[in-house]
Amino acid sequence: MAEYIKLVDVTKCTGCRGCQVACKQWNELPAEKTGFTGSLQNPKDLSYNTWCLIRFDEVEKKDKLNWLMRHDACMHCETPACVKACPSPGALFKTPEGAVVHDTNYCIGCKSCIVACPFDIPRNNPAIEKMAKCSLCYDRITDGKKPACVTACPTGCLSFGSKDAMLMAAEKRAEQIKGFIYPNNPKYETHLMYIMPGTVEITDFSHTNPNPKMPATILWWKNLFKPLTLIGIGGVAGAAFLHYIIKGPHRVHEKKEEGGE
Amino acid sequence: MSAHENLIKVTDAEERIVHWLLAGSCLFCLITGLGFMFHSWSFIATLFGGYYAMKWMHIFSGIVFMASLVYSYFMWKKDCEFEPSDLQWVLKGGGYLWEVKDLPPVYKYNAGQKAFFWILVACGAVIVISGLIMWNPVFYPVIAARFAYMLHAGAVVVLGSFIVVHIYLGTAGNPGTVTAMFTGQVTRAWCETHCPRWLAERDNYKPGQEKETA
Repeated sequence: MAEYIKLVDVTKCTGCRGCQVACKQWNELPAEKTGFTGSLQNPKDLSYNTWCLIRFDEVEKKDKLNWLMRHDACMHCETPACVKACPSPGALFKTPEGAVVHDTNYCIGCKSCIVACPFDIPRNNPAIEKMAKCSLCYDRITDGKKPACVTACPTGCLSFGSKDAMLMAAEKRAEQIKGFIYPNNPKYETHLMYIMPGTVEITDFSHTNPNPKMPATILWWKNLFKPLTLIGIGGVAGAAFLHYIIKGPHRVHEKKEEGGE
Repeated sequence: MSAHENLIKVTDAEERIVHWLLAGSCLFCLITGLGFMFHSWSFIATLFGGYYAMKWMHIFSGIVFMASLVYSYFMWKKDCEFEPSDLQWVLKGGGYLWEVKDLPPVYKYNAGQKAFFWILVACGAVIVISGLIMWNPVFYPVIAARFAYMLHAGAVVVLGSFIVVHIYLGTAGNPGTVTAMFTGQVTRAWCETHCPRWLAERDNYKPGQEKETA
């Protein structure tokens, strides 16, 4: 199985929101009733019905206005914290293609994935108390197609391909425009990557994590306390058994009127 | 026979009911919690009707645990206040794991039992509070919710281990003890061994002054 990456060249985005519409159409998500919020931002945020979203930011740098438009969606982490936190097998899983996929049938609505995600992506559907998020169009990419958002993108801002090809393309493009790649941490790989313009910094984009990593609390929980639970309970039970067969139980002190038995 | 005269009531019905509500809900939460924690033990979820059903059982059992924990805190906190002789008891090794001579005479509960109570209260409080946060984690700041998941699991490591100690010392490790939590009665010899000061006070009790505490 090939491993894929969805590449977002922010410098090519015109904010047309074709990706938003295509995502809704393919995943059969209803439109949201929204209102004017004083900016182009619409809808305001990701939701269980809006799995990808163009985020608009206006940033002034050296007296020059940067009008930023960023396609925001699940980053499809190589080691996803949401999957690590999920208590229900099959509800959230990572596929060999690199997609992190949710299955509503197995979701029990505990919302631990929402808390665990370093990018604040999963959303809860309060009507059914189950999470939802971008699945990298897993049903399309395993059928040789590109994700719906990529297919719809008219400017070439979104592209999709094998991991190696996309990484090479990203580096070439970033060099060409003197921009930078996000996330740029060899220790934290994702299957959604951005080429950002060099005139701004990552912190200028709203709803990004400048230093994405698996939350330390998740590591303590799953890598330390989880095995310790068994080691603790099992170790103490073993010690108690050893005590019983070596020292024997602590009997009441023999006294004159000790009756019965 | 004389066997009945030798039986002494050490716990009242209220204590036994609360103990078993606490113990039952705690063990149920522990088992279902292990089912959530270890995916390879999915048979636990199968047993309780699937993960979704088990989630709600875990929550409801947790509420019983919370209520009985609060109740037992107020019920037993006085019995479990440490006193100076507890230190002597601990320094001498307590006589639980090996025979010890000249132990300071214990009142109702020895230092080990008291320590278990306070560990239960502390870990139980962490588990209950973090569990309430985990019930609807998106309501809280994300860092608080993340800490809740970590502390929930961390406190279980401590409490789970001590519960095994508690079960062993209350059953096989100390023959004659377990009836204290079923019939509420133990033998006089048991009391002389485990709570001599309390027994002496009980024997000197003069009827008609105060209500019997035993």
